[in-house]
Amino acid sequence: MSAKFDLNDDSLVVIIGSGAGGGTLANELAQKGIRSVVLEAGKRFKMDDIENDEWKMFGKISWLDKRYVVGPARIAEDFPNLPAWIVKGVGGATMHWAGVAMRFQEHEFKMKTTNGTVPGANVLDWPVSLEEMEPYYVKAEKKMGVCGTEATGMPYHGKSSHYKVVAEGAKRIGARCEQAKLAINTEVRDGRPPCQVNGFCMQGCRIGAKWSTMYTEIPKAEATGNVEVRPQSMVLRIEHDKTGKVTGVLYADKDGNQQLQKARVVAVAGNSIESPRMLLNSESSMFPDGLANSSGQVGQNYMTHTTGGVYAEFEKPVHMYKSTVVPGIVHEWKGNDPTRGHLAGYELEILHLGLPFMSAFLNPGKGGWGRELADSLANYGNMAGFWICGEDMAVESNNITLHATEKDQYGLPVPVVYKTDHINDTRMRNHAYDRSKELFDAVGALKVNNLPPYPASHNMGTNRMSEHARDGVVNRWGQAHDIKNLFVSDGSQFTSSGTENPTLTIVALAIRQADYIADQMKRKEI
Amino acid sequence: MNKNKKPLFSFRKSSQDVSDTPCTDRREFLAKSGKLALGASAIVVGGGLFSPNSFAAKKIGADANATLLKLARDIYPHDTLEDKYYVQVMSPMADAAEKDAELFKLLAEGVTLLDKTSVDKYGVPYSQIKTEQERVIVLKMLEPTPFFQKIKGALMMGIYNNPEIWPRFGYGGSAWEKGGYINRGYDAVDWL
Repeated sequence: MSAKFDLNDDSLVVIIGSGAGGGTLANELAQKGIRSVVLEAGKRFKMDDIENDEWKMFGKISWLDKRYVVGPARIAEDFPNLPAWIVKGVGGATMHWAGVAMRFQEHEFKMKTTNGTVPGANVLDWPVSLEEMEPYYVKAEKKMGVCGTEATGMPYHGKSSHYKVVAEGAKRIGARCEQAKLAINTEVRDGRPPCQVNGFCMQGCRIGAKWSTMYTEIPKAEATGNVEVRPQSMVLRIEHDKTGKVTGVLYADKDGNQQLQKARVVAVAGNSIESPRMLLNSESSMFPDGLANSSGQVGQNYMTHTTGGVYAEFEKPVHMYKSTVVPGIVHEWKGNDPTRGHLAGYELEILHLGLPFMSAFLNPGKGGWGRELADSLANYGNMAGFWICGEDMAVESNNITLHATEKDQYGLPVPVVYKTDHINDTRMRNHAYDRSKELFDAVGALKVNNLPPYPASHNMGTNRMSEHARDGVVNRWGQAHDIKNLFVSDGSQFTSSGTENPTLTIVALAIRQADYIADQMKRKEI
Repeated sequence: MNKNKKPLFSFRKSSQDVSDTPCTDRREFLAKSGKLALGASAIVVGGGLFSPNSFAAKKIGADANATLLKLARDIYPHDTLEDKYYVQVMSPMADAAEKDAELFKLLAEGVTLLDKTSVDKYGVPYSQIKTEQERVIVLKMLEPTPFFQKIKGALMMGIYNNPEIWPRFGYGGSAWEKGGYINRGYDAVDWL
């Protein structure tokens, strides 16, 4: 039974965002008896709203508010208003994800120690280690239902034709390829059915086999009576008192009326563009550079993963769409091995797009037309391919800032996203393109197409964790260095991107953070 | 409603008998233009996109008919795909221009520029340039224009997001209502 709380109730935790971070935090706190209001900018969708249709779902659930992408990278030219491909709705980006749930590697928490200072980058160690995260990874895997793990004992999905083609190529060049650990049921589990291989993981799972806070954490949290979710509630600013503690959150409700929800604790989980944007928009005479920004790092170090696509065409059918979206991963180059010519590692994630999206991303932007492209698309049924997902170096000048003059429909300055490659990213991507071509050539590819990066679903780093207040925005618990009762609970707290998809780590951090918040509230520290 | 009664460009007058009765029913319009297109040969000369009675034929001009269809086929060339699939994209756009002055201007000026560029480069209007290679050179010059991008965008959706022709591209579309692929060959590959 969903709770209903008074706007003047100042005993609540106010959580901004209902995705992997916010949705998980709300449920974890609720199970401990801690009451919260979840402010979600988007609508509440029903299972019936989820369709196996790429463009329809793109139009229905994507975050399409005005944004700018700037910088010399091709993405600024191809997608000038769509830096990120995320969701505006209850469940957030856990609707739009392939379910890939891998743990970070040990070295990825210690990038500075591992590689020293990287010129042109702003690399830092996390104030958390893999060892410390391990018990929370186990909890996250159990919660989400990750197949192929000890935590669940749930078997892997079977080997799809798409997987088999890539695995054969990997075998021929001696590269390690394994089925993907996915937060997608392969058995009835947690009241949700097993996967039936619809092939539309990224459009929202129509049958709920894939974990999404939309139909797991959120309803479970509401069932405790400790949580009220308020959809279509766009946060305008976070208020604070004279002592610098946050006191409430001002938001525009679904009718556009401004409401002020009082709070004992505020947790920001609006993804890596909106989260720093909220802090920057909350500037005051006491915090002229925005909340929690004494380091100047709010909005900086924006990371998306070093990405790109590789799609090979074969003589015979692959029908890659008859598969979980990510059936397997080539792990061969995930380690940190500078002899490859770049630092950090990458995964080649076997991933399909449907024909509609393939037509948009095979050669995105204004120049994507003509016979070569059409011929490749005519060969869609015989394609197999990867999405490259590699560690993205933290670079301070890759950032989120506020537009000087232009406002959005809520009257908030439009976010401006600057993102371009560090030289390490470029070298890594080229290495990945080359190895992918070798792999596909080994299994008889007629043509191998390299795709440039498209709008990012993995957005990280803009409120990063640091040991020292001067280097980052939050401490090892995601608690703002500057403001004790302000937390960051999404991927924006990542110090490094790792090569792994971020959701599992976001969930593990949220579970861990809930323990800390509960403890601190009990001790009256916050 | 387009208030600009004067065409923004001049084309040679159509030799066809142009009736004064515009085809106002959208479905009828589509059906007519579709039918016409089906009857046309692979290299379309005249006829194709619009019914001769349509607003588009009268205002954008009879030659634009052939020009726009050729343009569409050059942007995403699939030689085995019938004209009707291109027509299904272009006709509604031309139709919509009757009530959308801005779109009308975009199309009309775009066609003018396309032909002017073609004449400058090869001495003939676009639809009369003989080889695809030469037409692509002209199109490359128009690529940055809103006219070209508007048509490219509409075609991308109209061709590759058209469930009717997905099977011909080897794509399955929506699967949940059929129980997905778990029992329908998700693991089948026989050539490795």
